[in-house]
Amino acid sequence: MTLSRNRNFSIVAHIDHGKSTLADRLLALTGTMDAKKAVDQVLDSMDLERERGITIKAHTVRLLYKARDGEEYTLNLIDTPGHVDFSYEVSRALAACEGALLIVDAAQGIEAQTLANFYLASDANLTIIPVINKIDLPAADVEGTRLAITETLELDGDEALAISAKHGTGVPEVLEAIVARIPPPAGDPDAPLKALVFDSFYDSYQGVVVYVRLKDGRVRPGTRILLMSNGRAYDVQQVGVFSPDMRPVEELSAGQVGYITASMKRVADAKVGETITEALRPTAEPFPGYRDAKPMVFAGLYPIEDTEYEALRDALEKLRLNDPAFSFEPETSLALGYGFRCGFLGLLHMEIVQERLEREFNLSLIVTAPSVRYRILTTAGELLEIENPSKLPTPDRIEQMEEPYVRSSVFVPTEFMTAIYKLAQEKRGEHQSLEYHGKRVHIRFDFPLAEIVVDFYDKLKSISKGYASFDYEFAEFRPSDLVKLDILLNGDPVDALSIIVHRDKAYEKGKALVEKLRAVIPRQLYEVAIQAAIGSRVIARETVKAMGKNVTAKCYGGDITRKRKLLERQKEGKKRMKQVGRVEVPQEAFLSVLKS
Amino acid sequence: MTGAASPDQAVGGLTEMLAGSPPRSDALGFYLHVPFCAARCHYCSFNTAPLEDGALARYLGALHRELDLLAELPWAPRVRIATVFLGGGTPSLLEADQLAAVLDRLRARFDVAADAEVTVECNPESVTRAKLAGYRAAGVTRVSLGVQSLDDAVLPRLGRLHDAGGARAAFAAAREAGVANVSVDLMYGLPGLDVAGFARAVEAVLAWGPEHLSAYGLTLDAGSLWGAAGVAGLPPEDTVVGQYWALARAAARRGLEHYEISNYARPGFRSLHNQVYWRAAEYLAAGPGACGFVGALRYANVKATPRYGEALEAGRLPVDSWEELTPRQRLGERLILGLRTSDGVPRAWLDERLAGDAALARRVGDWRARELLVDAAGRVRLTEAGFLLSDALFVDLL
Repeated sequence: MTLSRNRNFSIVAHIDHGKSTLADRLLALTGTMDAKKAVDQVLDSMDLERERGITIKAHTVRLLYKARDGEEYTLNLIDTPGHVDFSYEVSRALAACEGALLIVDAAQGIEAQTLANFYLASDANLTIIPVINKIDLPAADVEGTRLAITETLELDGDEALAISAKHGTGVPEVLEAIVARIPPPAGDPDAPLKALVFDSFYDSYQGVVVYVRLKDGRVRPGTRILLMSNGRAYDVQQVGVFSPDMRPVEELSAGQVGYITASMKRVADAKVGETITEALRPTAEPFPGYRDAKPMVFAGLYPIEDTEYEALRDALEKLRLNDPAFSFEPETSLALGYGFRCGFLGLLHMEIVQERLEREFNLSLIVTAPSVRYRILTTAGELLEIENPSKLPTPDRIEQMEEPYVRSSVFVPTEFMTAIYKLAQEKRGEHQSLEYHGKRVHIRFDFPLAEIVVDFYDKLKSISKGYASFDYEFAEFRPSDLVKLDILLNGDPVDALSIIVHRDKAYEKGKALVEKLRAVIPRQLYEVAIQAAIGSRVIARETVKAMGKNVTAKCYGGDITRKRKLLERQKEGKKRMKQVGRVEVPQEAFLSVLKS
Repeated sequence: MTGAASPDQAVGGLTEMLAGSPPRSDALGFYLHVPFCAARCHYCSFNTAPLEDGALARYLGALHRELDLLAELPWAPRVRIATVFLGGGTPSLLEADQLAAVLDRLRARFDVAADAEVTVECNPESVTRAKLAGYRAAGVTRVSLGVQSLDDAVLPRLGRLHDAGGARAAFAAAREAGVANVSVDLMYGLPGLDVAGFARAVEAVLAWGPEHLSAYGLTLDAGSLWGAAGVAGLPPEDTVVGQYWALARAAARRGLEHYEISNYARPGFRSLHNQVYWRAAEYLAAGPGACGFVGALRYANVKATPRYGEALEAGRLPVDSWEELTPRQRLGERLILGLRTSDGVPRAWLDERLAGDAALARRVGDWRARELLVDAAGRVRLTEAGFLLSDALFVDLL
């Protein structure tokens, strides 16, 4: 197999612009597998991915394509995660390619993630083929989209392919363009091995399966490999390609995409972005851009039943085998007992982990309000990083506090601009720039990460009737005037309900929070006072009245079974309550605090 | 273990189930369900059937047959029936001779105690002195009169067919017919009824001198018209709680014991039959939708009156579903039923439930600390304040 007939490419798009549909078409057209099977087996292999309609893990598949020039080409499609929480993973997958198909919806036009993906692909020096999809839609504006591609992306809009992935229109031309426009991989098979890790997963039989793109050199079973970031060495057991199932081959060589197994025990041993080389003949320089995926969002995870603590730890360890971006360490809460402070890439990542713990491991959990990581300079001159609001030092010990900011892009039709600016102001956004693109604007804001962590995206969607798109990346830590807001139930502070907020928003937040809690805490035998306080100063208060009556009037011979079953159902519901002091607090209270 | 009968179930299957679940006690209650109503009340979710031509006769035939089949159960000869209760529906739609025939058949097939309490639920508009005298002659010892309200503005809104005058007349007719044990049913928490209005009704009824009073807070049950369609003008919780206490105080002044959440009696006149339920004791049942409890088996008859008739015409017991209680469920039922009464339960039962459950023991401790639950003479019971919140405790005790 010569490299001149290899093409490594990726498909990138804003969500719902048709990435998966086009991938299915390409698989079907090259006879790799029929489209339906492809959807079920390849592109969305996790249940959660299918349900949420997003790709969480990168996938890769090898297509064999007989082009119009009569030659057979090997096309490696490297599918990328489709959510802003995973932009580092996307950048590494793109680094494994020479080209990318950038899909733009003919009716929606360019969106925030179109742009973000375009920049990622440009940064990776990829050949970008613009593809205008959904030309079958009545609202499709192919010429307008060409113009936008030319103006906004500085690509040649006239060279964009106009297709309908749904109907297959124009898809054969996509395959031809991949062959014609994307360069074959360059690389020296005789140079020292240099391979980029762009994904991995844990298999209980083979250990970690590492997805690699070889830049130079060769690798085969028995090769002693070296991981350049941590200096660990392993003996390769198997190498192979995806077609689409894993198929062992004798050797992978420069330019090729495939997998390696080498008895690695944890996914964290070969992280995304890692450079693999030969132990005996290492390459001079690793790939640039490697970094540890850093958790941005933190929350406490606690079992509702204390007896499930060990089961929760085992489950977290199992999940981490496959997900090095996720971190956890034990913590104790006065209110909730023993649990873990977990770190996530973003809120979606957090929800995925929580859902998997509840579904796959059958655990009942309390998740505390998500927090970001704050930097604190104490009066004693120490620098602390705090991920749990209840661990914040008292104000007299704080010299300065810093919070993380993100740089964000919002794309939205001009008619929603006012609403967007209003939302940005509420969320302490700082306007950076504004560009007009026809009927749409591209606005850049800097936001405190804490402000966009929970419900920002939902609000953005709702005020723009779904038209706004959003993308962000971490920028820097900035000094900020922050205070800790405590919640007290019947006078006792509940550490798991504490949050850190900007001083200017503390009153409003405290008021909203106690109102929300009043609505979710059920009436109990005695009155429950809910207070929000900064230090010793109470800033808001609500009361849950004591239960007035809760009684079944009639219970005779025919009522007994029905009554017992009714109470048994209520009892099931009560299992999702946590006893905090003498107050029964439902599970949702802990997460709902930031959504107020 | 639970089950439900399929239409083609072997005739013997459910009979065998009952046959194989002999009662632990030799003294049983017996509930007879009379499903017919002239009109359905708006709050009612009970199993009722419209009174159509021929339906009553067909039902009575089926009921007689059911008594025959129950009497054929292998353990039937050794049991004695200590209490009989005819509920509905509207049992007082039965003519005296029809009722007499049912009771005669019951006595012919079972050993009914000579001093058995025999109660009939009556609606004021369907009784006369003559009919009640006939009932009494047939062996009825106790009448439960469905008065519900004495407010002529409220009664039609409930869908009741009588007015306050009719209720008073029915009570007088029972006395004239020589019924020495009369219970009156009232409701509170009704739309358009304030605390004072209910207190007046309570005083008026107590002035009649009934031996027994039942008063039910309105519940919007799923199977009722109000439960389905909703109802306007429901009073706030404070009003309902106020009505509960107005009744409790008035009954105490007149010397009636508050012996169950919704029941009051002059000393010696508690409902013997209903106490069977609250003691988690055993009872047989006949009639559409009627529920029985023998051994560890709770069973329910087919609800629809025509299907009930068909089963019996085909010669099989009309049992629709059954459930065998686990020891844990039995204990739970004993607690949540026993704690409905002022007798409460033996303290040992509660201790058995609390053993090894520190969180529950702590919560029950709260009930004691607030004097909602009290201990006396080796038993534990809810106070009148505790009755009002009882479901919050029962959820935990199951």
